[in-house]
Amino acid sequence: MENEIRRLRGSSGISQAHLAQAMGVSRQTINSIETERYTPSLPLALALARYFEKPVEEVFHANGSV
Amino acid sequence: MPTVPCSPRKSGMSRWYQPAFTASLGLVLLGAFWIGGHPATGLGGLGLMVGMAVVLLVGGRSDTIRGLRGDGRDERFAMIDLRASALAGFAVIMAVIVGFLVEVAEGRTGSPYDWLGAIAGVVYLGAIWVLRSRS
Repeated sequence: MENEIRRLRGSSGISQAHLAQAMGVSRQTINSIETERYTPSLPLALALARYFEKPVEEVFHANGSV
Repeated sequence: MPTVPCSPRKSGMSRWYQPAFTASLGLVLLGAFWIGGHPATGLGGLGLMVGMAVVLLVGGRSDTIRGLRGDGRDERFAMIDLRASALAGFAVIMAVIVGFLVEVAEGRTGSPYDWLGAIAGVVYLGAIWVLRSRS
């Protein structure tokens, strides 16, 4: 699933470690989401969208798979 | 943007739990081998398990070690753990099936592979039934 996490994080000027700490996950999990190797659970996807104050559909794109 | 955790997902397991469990298992191994009359083998097993416990305890910089230890486990590592467990279970079941077939082909009863396979089958079907009713 494609996502805007890396772009949003970059424009916010925060590190993967900072975002990971805020989300309660490991830095490696944030990296895996950004590189689209891991699709987060719905609660984590919602938490990420809320963190960046965006609707979840603006952060994650189903990319025709749903 | 919020600066406090939105909803923590890491496991609350103590970093000491898994190393202590591993070392305790080593003591159980030692006891079992000692009772069986092979204390030297038991000491070897204890040494191996204590070594693993030390690696778990001091390997805090590794994502894998922290996930295995429990205190660094989040939803991604839980998924990795689930898949790894399924793969390990699949390998064991395959070994049980092959072992059973070899035993039967050589004219023996197939024990203990028969009841090991039966346990695996019953637990799998039971888990399917329970998990299906809960989801």
